[in-house]
Amino acid sequence: MNPDPKTMPDPSAMISVRNLSKLYKDFIALDRISFDVQRGEKIVVLGPSGSGKSTLIRCFNRIEPHDSGILSIDGKIINAQTDLTQLRATVGLVFQNYNLFPHLSVLDNCTLAPRLVKKTPRADAAEMAMRFLQQVNIAEQANKYPIQLSGGQQQRVAIARALCMQPEVMLFDEPTAALDPEAISGVVGIMNDLAQQGITTLCVTHEMGFARHIADRIIFMDKGRILEITPPAEFFTTPKTQRARDFLDQMISY
Amino acid sequence: MTHSMAQFMRRCSSRFRPRVLAAALAGVLAIAGSAQAAEPDLPGFIHDGTLTICTNPTLPPMTFVNGNDVNAVDGIDMDIAHRLADYWHVSMVVTTMDFTGLFPSLAAQRCSMVASGIIKLPEREKNFDAVSYQDTALVVVARAGTPPLSSMADLSGKTVAVQSGTSYSARLAKENETLVQAGRAPIIIQQYPTEDQVVQQVLIGRVFAFASQDVELYYRQEQLHGKVSVILVPPYPEYGHFALYIRKNAHDRELLDQAIATMGQNGQMAAIQKKWAISPDVAKALANTSPAPMFRWDTFFSALTSTAFMRGAFITLAVAVLSHFTAIMISIPMALALNGRDSLLKMALKGYVSVFRGAPTLLQLLFIWNALPQFLPIFREAWFTPFLATWLSLSINESAYQVEINRAALGAVDKGQELAGDALAMSRRQVYRHVIFPQALRIALPPTINEFISLLKTTSLASVISLQELLAVTQIQVARTFEFTEYYAAALVYYLAMVFFFLFLQKRVERRFAWADRHKATANES
Ligand SMILES: Nc1ncnc2c1ncn2[C@@H]1O[C@H](COP(=O)(O)OP(=O)(O)O)[C@@H](O)[C@H]1O
Ligand SMILES: [Mg+2]
Repeated sequence: MNPDPKTMPDPSAMISVRNLSKLYKDFIALDRISFDVQRGEKIVVLGPSGSGKSTLIRCFNRIEPHDSGILSIDGKIINAQTDLTQLRATVGLVFQNYNLFPHLSVLDNCTLAPRLVKKTPRADAAEMAMRFLQQVNIAEQANKYPIQLSGGQQQRVAIARALCMQPEVMLFDEPTAALDPEAISGVVGIMNDLAQQGITTLCVTHEMGFARHIADRIIFMDKGRILEITPPAEFFTTPKTQRARDFLDQMISY
Repeated sequence: MTHSMAQFMRRCSSRFRPRVLAAALAGVLAIAGSAQAAEPDLPGFIHDGTLTICTNPTLPPMTFVNGNDVNAVDGIDMDIAHRLADYWHVSMVVTTMDFTGLFPSLAAQRCSMVASGIIKLPEREKNFDAVSYQDTALVVVARAGTPPLSSMADLSGKTVAVQSGTSYSARLAKENETLVQAGRAPIIIQQYPTEDQVVQQVLIGRVFAFASQDVELYYRQEQLHGKVSVILVPPYPEYGHFALYIRKNAHDRELLDQAIATMGQNGQMAAIQKKWAISPDVAKALANTSPAPMFRWDTFFSALTSTAFMRGAFITLAVAVLSHFTAIMISIPMALALNGRDSLLKMALKGYVSVFRGAPTLLQLLFIWNALPQFLPIFREAWFTPFLATWLSLSINESAYQVEINRAALGAVDKGQELAGDALAMSRRQVYRHVIFPQALRIALPPTINEFISLLKTTSLASVISLQELLAVTQIQVARTFEFTEYYAAALVYYLAMVFFFLFLQKRVERRFAWADRHKATANES
């Protein structure tokens, strides 16, 4: 399962990383990470707080540039010369705290990037936005401002906004961490639907239901390293490392 | 006046006899209308066929605005300047400014000559050449009914108002030395920027007396309705002449001397003096008019609706809007740089902000108008008008304040917004233009409008560099009429109207940012 770090990245994989490292000053946030994500795969990233999960997925759209190692997305090597516009149109990202644009209506939040980046005509962008807003069950709020929506509604808008760029990979960074239980089920439901549609998904989440039933594989991280990459059935029943066992114990008691 | 005219002639003939004879001859020939009259030599201070006069038009009858048109400067000095221009067959242009700006402007080559009812004084002649054209005497004036004094020493312990920038305060200080030596209280000297304010201090009873020139007082009698009278004519021979000032140049000075002498010979001088009625007889006849009412509503309303005030208010508004707009444009990239990484540019910008926030705005205006031309001659050319100088100066000054507002506003936009923009593949420009700036604008707008209102009032400082903004217009009208209350009230109405308009605008604009407030957003929707 685990690729040999010395091999070249897999060009057929959607995401392929070899020996990826990231430093903040002299703090090692990511330590020689290697793995592949195939097209259509759903990966859940687990790990204690500060283990480098956010840093890792932010490397994939180069919001955080990596310092060494090789990263390839959709068969293309990502480095300082990469066309960021194209990369980021391919890789969508949903944040824990939504980061909706407060000065724009729900609809305009969704149409802004397609209009500016892809030069989609306003009417076409709006039509597509309405389709995705419908998909996340929020179409009736299209003309409201983010401040008028609940947290769960805002996160659903954020997902629709990312989908409007028609990405091939969706990254979720703890999308439900700031939500109450009711709102969580709504958002997880939408992520289930997306997974069903076959979009490549990397999700940092502590939603065990999603991790167990939807994920193809679990990546377990600690202190900037990947300790395990295994299917969920295996991970949740027979974790290989003590760290993973401790982590799971904590999750359950919590 | 016949007496002083005779003195004038005596002085001329005793000092410049040989030239005066030649000039007289030239004058006679000119009167005879002879075409053979020798073209007078052109002095070096005339450029491009134009005689440029610097004047502070607040000293009737020498130089003042005689009517509602603030651009029409009138008075003895202007008549003389016209005659001089005719004499040299050149055109004449008048530049008006604050009194304190006159000599710096002359030094900066902004004008050919200062003609502003200025006394011929040895101290001034150290730096400039002076040619006298009109006899006068210093007078001490108090409210009507004040018993006359017998000497300057009688002013001991009393307050006397003088116009700042004039030599009166220095002369009074000299008087004080004598008083202090004799163990007596000195004269308390108060200085005011304009002559009309000096007079007003006596009228309202704040000061005991003011020092002025006799000719001015004669002329003022009509407006003053006999409310003041001369209590002392001190024996100060050095205050005997009004003079025209030019930059030091012996040849130019000689040519100017000749021109003035010629005007004395051919009767032009006498005609000007007659026109402006600068003789004590006239003053007496005018003294017995009826007292003025407390507040003249007609003056107030005509000031309010006058084109002079509207134009002044427009200039105030225009220079404030342009300066603030420019300041905002400069300060946005400045704020971005200051919020960015440390660099040489950032250090330079910090220095810029400190200097322009630290230095008084008035000093910056005076520096740009008077000192800059000394380093960069192109700033003394005609295109660099008081309006441009004010615009430049206030833009730079205001940008140093605006940059702090911009910085705070940009810093207050959540970092996640930039991340979200990046993650949606938007370019740097697009992120700033469509995500960060609109949100920063909401935060920056209320303090920015406050800044603007403050700037609108700061523009009144530009009267010192002769910008004809609202306050300058007001002062000129006050100098002409002495109707303080009425013109001040009219100016106040204009300022308040402008300020209230922008406060109203502020309220309206804040309503447009409903997205920042859940209740407002919901209210707007319904
Ligand atoms: N911009 C940054 N500068 C310095 N250290 C950072 C920065 N971002 C994250 N870190 C550090 O890197 C480590 C990993 O952070 P993160 O990827 O956010 O962890 P996780 O998402 O797993 O909680 C943490 O110790 C965090 O303090
Ligand atoms: Mg995180």
